[in-house]
Amino acid sequence: MIKVENLFYSYTKDSKYAVDDVNFEVAKGEAFGFLGPSGAGKSTTQGILTGLLPMQDGLAEVAGYNMKNPSRKMFNKLGVSFEQSNVYGKLTALENLEFYRKLFDVETIEPNVLLEIVGLSHVANKKASTFSKGMKHRLTFARSMLNKPELWFLDEPTTGLDPAIANQIKDVIKEKSKEGSTIFLTTHNMFIADELCDRVGFIIDGVLKLIDSPRNLKLKYGQKLVDIEYKDGNEIKKDSFSLIKEEERLKLNHIINNYEIELMHTKEATLEEIFIKVTGRGLV
Amino acid sequence: MKKIFTITMRDIVSSLRDSMIIYIIIFPFILAVILRMMTSSVGATTVNIAVDNSIDSTMVEYLEDFGNVETFDSIERVNKRVNDTDDVFGLTKKGLTYSIIQEGNERASSVDLLEYMVSSYENQNLDLPIEVEVSDIGWNLSPIKQYGGNLLIVFISVFGGMIILINLVEEKQENTLSAVNVSSITRTQYVIGKGLLGFMVPIIHSIGILAILNYGQINYLMVIVVILCIAMISVLIGFLIGVTNDNILGAISSMKMLFIPILGSIFGAIFLGSQWHYLLYWSPFYWAFNALNSIILKEATWSGVLLNCSIIILITGIIFALLSKKIKRGLN
Ligand SMILES: Nc1ncnc2c1ncn2[C@@H]1O[C@H](COP(=O)(O)OP(=O)(O)OP(=O)(O)O)[C@@H](O)[C@H]1O
Ligand SMILES: [Mg+2]
Repeated sequence: MIKVENLFYSYTKDSKYAVDDVNFEVAKGEAFGFLGPSGAGKSTTQGILTGLLPMQDGLAEVAGYNMKNPSRKMFNKLGVSFEQSNVYGKLTALENLEFYRKLFDVETIEPNVLLEIVGLSHVANKKASTFSKGMKHRLTFARSMLNKPELWFLDEPTTGLDPAIANQIKDVIKEKSKEGSTIFLTTHNMFIADELCDRVGFIIDGVLKLIDSPRNLKLKYGQKLVDIEYKDGNEIKKDSFSLIKEEERLKLNHIINNYEIELMHTKEATLEEIFIKVTGRGLV
Repeated sequence: MKKIFTITMRDIVSSLRDSMIIYIIIFPFILAVILRMMTSSVGATTVNIAVDNSIDSTMVEYLEDFGNVETFDSIERVNKRVNDTDDVFGLTKKGLTYSIIQEGNERASSVDLLEYMVSSYENQNLDLPIEVEVSDIGWNLSPIKQYGGNLLIVFISVFGGMIILINLVEEKQENTLSAVNVSSITRTQYVIGKGLLGFMVPIIHSIGILAILNYGQINYLMVIVVILCIAMISVLIGFLIGVTNDNILGAISSMKMLFIPILGSIFGAIFLGSQWHYLLYWSPFYWAFNALNSIILKEATWSGVLLNCSIIILITGIIFALLSKKIKRGLN
C-alpha cells in the first residue's frame, strides 16, 4: 500500500533534512506505527505521503500512485487525520462532515454515525468554534473516516484526549484495522502502538533507525525483570532483578529464601524502554 | 459541478455567519439609499403625477418611466391629491387635449418636464426618435446620480473579491485547506467554487443599486456583462492576497489599496477633458465606468459594451498571467 525508497525532505531545500534517506514498506491491511520524539520527521513523512508536501527526492508510492504526480482520484481511497485539528469554526460539527463528504466520489458514511462513534452526537449542531481542543480533534478524526478509507493516515489521533476517550478512539482504529484498512499511525503513545500495530518504525532526526514487530522487539531487546519488595528487619526494601543474568537470579533466590516478601511481580520491557535503549533517546 | 457548488454553498453559509461579511453585503445598499436621498433633494429628479381614468394605461406606463404615477377614479380625487402639501401634478384628458393641474407650489421646471413628457408620448406615434431627446434633456439624471451610481457600482465590484479573501484567509488560518487538499476535489473545481461568490455578490449589488437609484429602463443584461468582466480583477486580487495572508484585517487593508486605482480612474474620467482620457486607458476600471455610463444614459450599444469588456478582459488576462503562479503556490 505504501512504498518509500530513499526519501529525503528538507524544508530549507538544503542538506538540513527533516526526512533523511527513509526506506520502508507498508503492506495492504497492515497497521504500521511511526514512532519518534518531537521533531523527528513523522508529520513531514505523512505530509509527503498525502501530497501536502511536494516530493523532493526519492520515491514514494501510495495506494498504487506515484507521489511525484498523484491523481486526485487517489484521495478517494485515503483518509487523513491531522496532528493539529482543522475544522471550520463557523460550521457545526454536522455541517463540517456534510460538507466534506460531498468532496468525494465514493460512497461515504453517514455523518451522524461518525459523530456517535467519536462521542460528539450531543454537540452535532453546535459550531465547531465553541468546541474544546479535544472535541475538535475528534471531529478531525471522524472526518478522516468519512470515505471509508482503504489507507488511513493518523497523525497522533489520541494526543490531547482524556484516557477514556483515547481508549475509544483506539478501539475504533482497531476495529477498522480488523476490517482490513491499512493504517499508518503516528503516535507518542507506546501502549496504543504496542496494541494496534503489526510493525513499528523508530525515527529520530529524520532517520529511520529500526523497523520490526512489537513482539520481536521485546524478545530481542526486552529483558524480563522482577520487581520485588521485602522486609529487612523493620525496613522495607525495593529491588529489581533481571531473570536473564545468572548473578542476579542468584541474588533474587537469596532474598526469597531469607526475607519476608511483601510484593513481587515480573515486568516486560515496554516499547518505550526499548525505544530508549535502541536510540539512546526518550520519546518526548 | 456538484463539488463546485458544494464549495460555494459552504462559503455562503459561512459568510452569513460573519458580521464583517454581512456588513460588506449591506453597505452598498445603504450607500445607494443615501445617494438616492441626496439626488432627490438636489434636483427635480422625479415628477409626481396624479391621473384620473381618462388617461389610458399605456400612457400611465410611459409616465411611470419618468416619475411616480398615482391613479384615481375621478377628477375630483385627483384635484384633492394635488391640493395636498407635496409636489404633485394632476393630469387629465378631455377629448384630444391634456390638461395639467397644478397647485402653485410645484417647481416651474417640473411643469415643463411634464409637458414635455406628454407631448413626447403623443409624438411617439409619429415614430420620432423620442428616446434620444429624452436623454438629452437629462431630467432624471443629475450629475450626482449619473456618476454617483456608476462610481458606486464600479467601487463595489471589489466587495465580492473581499468576501473571497475573507473566506480564504479563514481557510488558511484554520488550515482547513489541507483537509480539502486531501479530498478528491480538483484544484480547478475548488478555485471556481471559491470564485463564484466574487461574481454573484457584485451582480446582486449592482442590480440592487440600480433599482434603488431608479434609472428606469436600462439594459440590465449589459450591466451584468460589464460587472462580470470588472469583477474578475477583484476576484484575482482577492485570491492573491487571500492565499498569501494569514491575517484577515491585514488582508483587507491590502485589498483596500485597490480603491486607489478605482477612484483615480473614475474621477479622472469625470473631471479630465476627453483629450486626456488616454492617460486612463490602462485601467480596467476606467473602461467599466465608461461602459456603465453609456448604459445608464441608455446610449449603449452591444458592440460598444463588448468592446469595453474585451479591453477589460485583456488587461485582466495580463494581470492573471503575472500572478497565477503565486496564487497556485499559495493554495498548497
Ligand atoms: N513548516 C516547516 N518549516 C520548516 N521546518 C519545519 C516545518 N515543519 C517542520 N519542520 C521541521 O522539520 C523537522 C521535523 O518536523 P515534524 O513536524 O515532521 O516532526 P514530528 O516528528 O511530526 O514531531 P511531533 O512529534 O512534534 O509532531 C523538525 O525539525 C521541524 O522543526
Ligand atoms: Mg508531528
